[in-house]
Amino acid sequence: MVSVKLDHLSKYFGSVKAVDNLNLKIKDGEFIALLGPSGCGKTTTLLMIAGIYKPTKGRIFFDDVDVTEWPPKDRNVGMVFQSYALYPHMKVYDNIAFPLKLKKVPKQEIDKRVKSVAKMLQIDHLLDRYPRQLSGGQQQRVALARALVKDAYVLLMDEPLSNLDAKLRVMMRAEIKRLQKELKITTIYVTHDQVEAMSMADRIAVMNEGKLQQFSTPDELYNKPINVFVAGFIGAPPMNLIDATFVEKSDGYYVDAGSFQLKLREDLGKMAKKNLTSTEIIFGVRPEHLIISTTPAEPDRSIEGFVYVLEPLGRDLIVNVKIGEHIIKAIANPGLTLTPGQKVWLVIDYDKIHIFDKKTEVAVI
Amino acid sequence: MRIGSPRARIFLITLIFLGPCIAMIAIFWILPVFSTIFLSFTDMGLRKAEWSFVGLRNYEYIGAHPFTLKVVINTAVYVSATLAWNVLVGLLLALLTFYVDEKSSLLFRALWLLPRASPPVVYGLLWLWVLDSSEYGLLNQLVKPITGKPIPWLVDYAMPAIIIINGFVGASFSLIVFSSALKSIPPDYIMAARVDGASELRIIKDIILPLMKWPILFVTAWQTLSLLASYEYILIVTGGGPFYDTEVWSLFAYHQAFQHLELGFGAALAMVLVIAALVIVLIQMKVFKFRRMITPVKIEHT
Amino acid sequence: MSTSQGGRKIKVKRSLAYYRVRRILVKAVLYSVLIALTLPIIIMYAWLFMQSISETVLFGFIPSNFTLKGWRFLWQSIKFGEVILPPIWPVVMNSLIIAGGVTVIEVSIALLAGYALSRLNVPYREPLLLLIIALHAFPGITLLIAIFYLLNSMGLINTLLGVIIAKAALEIPMGTWLIKGFFDAVPWDVEAAALVDGCSRLKAWYKVVLPIVKPGIAAIAIFAFLAGWNEFIFSLTFLLDPRLYPLSIHVYQLIGEFRYIDYTLLAATALFYCIPPLVFFVITQKAFMKVPVVGVRGA
Repeated sequence: MVSVKLDHLSKYFGSVKAVDNLNLKIKDGEFIALLGPSGCGKTTTLLMIAGIYKPTKGRIFFDDVDVTEWPPKDRNVGMVFQSYALYPHMKVYDNIAFPLKLKKVPKQEIDKRVKSVAKMLQIDHLLDRYPRQLSGGQQQRVALARALVKDAYVLLMDEPLSNLDAKLRVMMRAEIKRLQKELKITTIYVTHDQVEAMSMADRIAVMNEGKLQQFSTPDELYNKPINVFVAGFIGAPPMNLIDATFVEKSDGYYVDAGSFQLKLREDLGKMAKKNLTSTEIIFGVRPEHLIISTTPAEPDRSIEGFVYVLEPLGRDLIVNVKIGEHIIKAIANPGLTLTPGQKVWLVIDYDKIHIFDKKTEVAVI
Repeated sequence: MRIGSPRARIFLITLIFLGPCIAMIAIFWILPVFSTIFLSFTDMGLRKAEWSFVGLRNYEYIGAHPFTLKVVINTAVYVSATLAWNVLVGLLLALLTFYVDEKSSLLFRALWLLPRASPPVVYGLLWLWVLDSSEYGLLNQLVKPITGKPIPWLVDYAMPAIIIINGFVGASFSLIVFSSALKSIPPDYIMAARVDGASELRIIKDIILPLMKWPILFVTAWQTLSLLASYEYILIVTGGGPFYDTEVWSLFAYHQAFQHLELGFGAALAMVLVIAALVIVLIQMKVFKFRRMITPVKIEHT
Repeated sequence: MSTSQGGRKIKVKRSLAYYRVRRILVKAVLYSVLIALTLPIIIMYAWLFMQSISETVLFGFIPSNFTLKGWRFLWQSIKFGEVILPPIWPVVMNSLIIAGGVTVIEVSIALLAGYALSRLNVPYREPLLLLIIALHAFPGITLLIAIFYLLNSMGLINTLLGVIIAKAALEIPMGTWLIKGFFDAVPWDVEAAALVDGCSRLKAWYKVVLPIVKPGIAAIAIFAFLAGWNEFIFSLTFLLDPRLYPLSIHVYQLIGEFRYIDYTLLAATALFYCIPPLVFFVITQKAFMKVPVVGVRGA
């Protein structure tokens, strides 16, 4: 139950910058996720926090104590590996007890703690078996038990659910979140699945190519992504991102995407003008924030196109709308009947649009 | 069988492809065993042209030979000591090269292959120089400040000498097997153990060694047989001496057959060795349940 | 399980300096032990090189006067009192003949057999495989005596051919096993494609499969050549005519008869003998590392 600070943390493998200048402050008891595509450096970061990798640059602090030089065994962290890494030649009981044995905890105490953790994770009936005799879900719980039994400072998890089937995964997500809240242990959770991160974490650190993109709550990441990468990564179906130009005309500020134009609200236009480095922008709007209308709407704040493809998903209906050479996705109520080729209007909600400077990819609105 | 019918074709192909190999093995591996059995019941020698069957006389003579007991003891000592060295030093080297950086690791493993890759005569020569009884031998140059005078190593310490000489060659085999086994341990186990709080020594004891059980057993089994049959280096360096001090069973058989020119007696001695080897193989097969024959180096998760 | 609210104090067990020093110490120990164990090998081979080019050598690598006298056997015949040593080049030729012969025989037979064992749905595939592995447990001396008797009956004693055939036969099981591994790695599809394209089984093997296993062929060829070049015991036992002696026997005799007279010459000859194995060793060092089970007769 410790706060963790990563200070200018970098890890280079030869000329490859796996992690580059990462700065993160994690609060005591917080559940944070390291989220990003494969190769973005999240697992490398986790291994540096565990002490298995030595950082090329930067420091790691637990509660203001510099632990950068400490070997893993002195850091008192618990880790769940993607492969679970259960010792195949030891029984489940011994696997869980191993960290305590190493700490030379007295036998009775070990027994008490192992059984209590096992009970908490509902695997107390499996203690006498070998890892190879367990199902994937059971192995995962054993790995979790081993990480938790030592009363660790920090809990590290490297994509622990990725080897489970979908149903089990969803169930375990809730389990892990509940467990973490109950134990109040600082947890760092690595995943490439944004749904997983969004549903479990208090805050999410989005990473790409070794660099931190944004570190905020799920809400913030969803509503106020600070760059194109985060905007496109969070949310499913992903945000519509369209190249456009920012035009200042006599009667106001416009977004010109070639096949359509939108007039911006006065205050938004002024803010955009102030912060843009050039007139090249990327216009972003989430599918769920577009209102589909089958009747003509105000041209300045709507996009006129025709239905290209319909994707019925039961609860939602994804409508692919074609305007010129652009295809924009929007989510409609399944009750709405549309046919391909039908003319529709997508109405914009000014509070829910995003404009990114094309060069810097930073959000301006 | 018409040529062209599938069965004929398979037969033909078998003949062409496997024939020579099977013939070679039959003539030079299988046949010799029977020849040796046959020879052991004769008094064939290279001193005279005629020979006759003598029944079990050769075998009786083995029991009666004044040096048989010494040879047996020599063989037992030699095989067990060298085996221990091979496995332990090989394991130590594998672990050491596992923990140092890649470049050094390759360098040292390459160096340890030198004895094995060199011609036996040259390797033997090198040790003859090291163990030279005169003051110019390397070892004597080193111990001169301590003892003052040169020590006749190959006279007083002949057995330890041949153990070490064969040990350096044998350790490289173990090194190769163990290194490859170490590399195939999933790194996750070691990382998990580190995070769990284990020191490196603890990791070696509790994680690495248990997972190396099969490679270790395989090397032990394989090398026991190899050592029983080996005599080339001993022949070159000590010739079995001084005076039977390092005469192991294989060498004994060799000397009887080609120095004393008693082929029959030599064959009898060789047969005893075959039987001993067979017994050992059978014991091993039972213990390892045959798996080792097929997958000698894989890490088996028991 | 602790359920305390709020943070806990971290136990700082040791100082930063402790970790840094410890790291260096451990590395030092590892390297020291490695070097100590490997030292004999390093010194021995250093001596071989040094002694061949200097009069006397101290401690293995401190040479005294540099000289190329030791290498004179390359261009003149050596006399020690009454004894004239055989000139070196015919001896080299003998070694080459043996090595080359073993290579040719072993590679051709192993290639065919390895492919068959890997590919063809020949019945008795499994037991044969087993046999090849089991053969390696046969004591060498048993084979030696019997092969001697056999070659004698065939009139091949005291001929290079006898040595060649015997050595090749002993190397074939291992060679077959090795090359079979390479054949195993060739995907069925490639062969099937060749058959579909119109090749007979033999043609497919020759034109398509063989080129793919070229590295395997190179590997067993090298092993075979070195086995023949290093061959000692058969030559010692089967060859009686000094004109047939290969380098292994030549050096062996030098050791026995002239060791204390001219160490420099001895070392130079031995080093000369070592050149092909050392060259191959250096070049193919990576290949050596990749083969997990390399069995050589003996220890």
